[in-house]
Amino acid sequence: MDKPVKPVPIVNEWARPFWEATRQHKLIIQKCADCGKHIFYPRICCPHCFSDRVNWVESSGKGTVYSFTIVESNPPSAFIGDLPYVIALVRLEEGVQMLSNIVECELHQISCDMPVQVTFEKLNEDFTLPKFRPI
Amino acid sequence: MSNLRGKVAIVGIGEVPTGRFPDTAAIYHAIESARLAIKDAGINKDDIDFVMPTAALFSLPFNTELVTCRIIEELGLKNARTNCQIFAGGSSGSCFLKLGGSLITAGIAKCVLCVHAERLGSGVTAQGGIDLFSTAGISPEWEVPFGQHYSSIAALATTRYQYETGCTDEQMAAVCVSNRKWAELNPNARFRTPLTVEEVLSSKMLSTPLRAKESNMLFDGGSALILTSSERARDVTEKPVYFLGEGSRVTHFVFSQEPDITRYGWAGAARDAFNEADLTPKDIDIAEIYDSYPIFQVIGFEELGFCERGEAGTIHLRGDTWPGGRIPTTTNGGMLSQGHTGAGGGVALVVEAARQLMGKARERQVPGARFAVETGTGGTYMDAHVSILGNEVP
Repeated sequence: MDKPVKPVPIVNEWARPFWEATRQHKLIIQKCADCGKHIFYPRICCPHCFSDRVNWVESSGKGTVYSFTIVESNPPSAFIGDLPYVIALVRLEEGVQMLSNIVECELHQISCDMPVQVTFEKLNEDFTLPKFRPI
Repeated sequence: MSNLRGKVAIVGIGEVPTGRFPDTAAIYHAIESARLAIKDAGINKDDIDFVMPTAALFSLPFNTELVTCRIIEELGLKNARTNCQIFAGGSSGSCFLKLGGSLITAGIAKCVLCVHAERLGSGVTAQGGIDLFSTAGISPEWEVPFGQHYSSIAALATTRYQYETGCTDEQMAAVCVSNRKWAELNPNARFRTPLTVEEVLSSKMLSTPLRAKESNMLFDGGSALILTSSERARDVTEKPVYFLGEGSRVTHFVFSQEPDITRYGWAGAARDAFNEADLTPKDIDIAEIYDSYPIFQVIGFEELGFCERGEAGTIHLRGDTWPGGRIPTTTNGGMLSQGHTGAGGGVALVVEAARQLMGKARERQVPGARFAVETGTGGTYMDAHVSILGNEVP
């Protein structure tokens, strides 16, 4: 049986700059020019004040683990070969949250509120995913 | 919060057993549940003028049959003027009440048949079910590429909740034990053999700290209910179940965008529902809490105000939520023991609340029950719906 192909992000066109940046190992998020709040995931307008003046800024890539889980069994088909792997909710310094994986660490040392830093993993020629490692 | 308080009522319920029935046509689960509900209400089938199926996920062609009036034709509902699908995932049962109730009070419908049917047990393989639910409702751009799926979502919520409250694995497992005690008394439940905390904790680890016996399983099943005005309800039955209050909130689409994965929108939704009903949690005899995983029953139970935050696990462990307990909870066994039938898990809780308040729950009847609360949540716990029902209008 063929190994299942990893799902690639189904990209909304207004999020394309985000994925172009991760290919260059940069984590960019949006910032509203009117209310000043940071925004993730990318939107066509600010979800706080409804302004359409949303710009891209580079994130520090630093954050903390809001929550995490070590997936040990029964994952989606494409991830069976990755077991065990860590899924985490990361809160970036800029105040936005994103889902990712924690990599480059001892699985059982991960804890809630642990500081983490972005790192990048190439998925294929088109996509590089932002992941996180302990600082 | 609405102005429906006491104006509409459930007058009939129907349900088929939950399980794997590969030789049974999916439509049977819909039409047999509907037929039982019509018989239970004691009305003429031709009193039904509005049919409201919810969606089935296992098959697009089957779902299209639900959309294109097959139930009306199969049952010969010759006065049914509208068939319109209502779908909000696990909140569909709660939405039946508020949308069906609104149509009745607006004069658009007199008698609404709400139906659910699904074949997620025999219609898809086990891995197919995992794969379906690693995409359905999960963002293909922001979460699917990281291996997110429903077990990992429940695990993320459990990890943070335990971190913040100190709730133990044993207390969390007690939710499964409590729901199983009710399922032992429910002939329509899939899992009816006694379960212990030790068995839950020794089952296979899925995503830490979530174990296999803390995960719902997908099955075939169906259920139905009939709504009409309270005025007509009193002519039809001696025990109408009145819709007394409702509240809801939406807090995310992408799970990672949820501001508080240990609370969601339950507190606000519950406040609205209790205010409308003019009741408090102390007045409630039965709590039918959405339980696709133990963590969500724990959070719902606490946020609705049945105990302080961090105490729900202990309360489930010491038996307050069991048959004969102080606050009977999820009395059909829930998705953890009756079985998860897609949108039907929530519909089954509405049907169970009505069954108890009608006094038709047989072995698991809560004696003298007057008021029940029912909760529903869809997608990745994107919304919080709270409905209050009673066999009297306080």
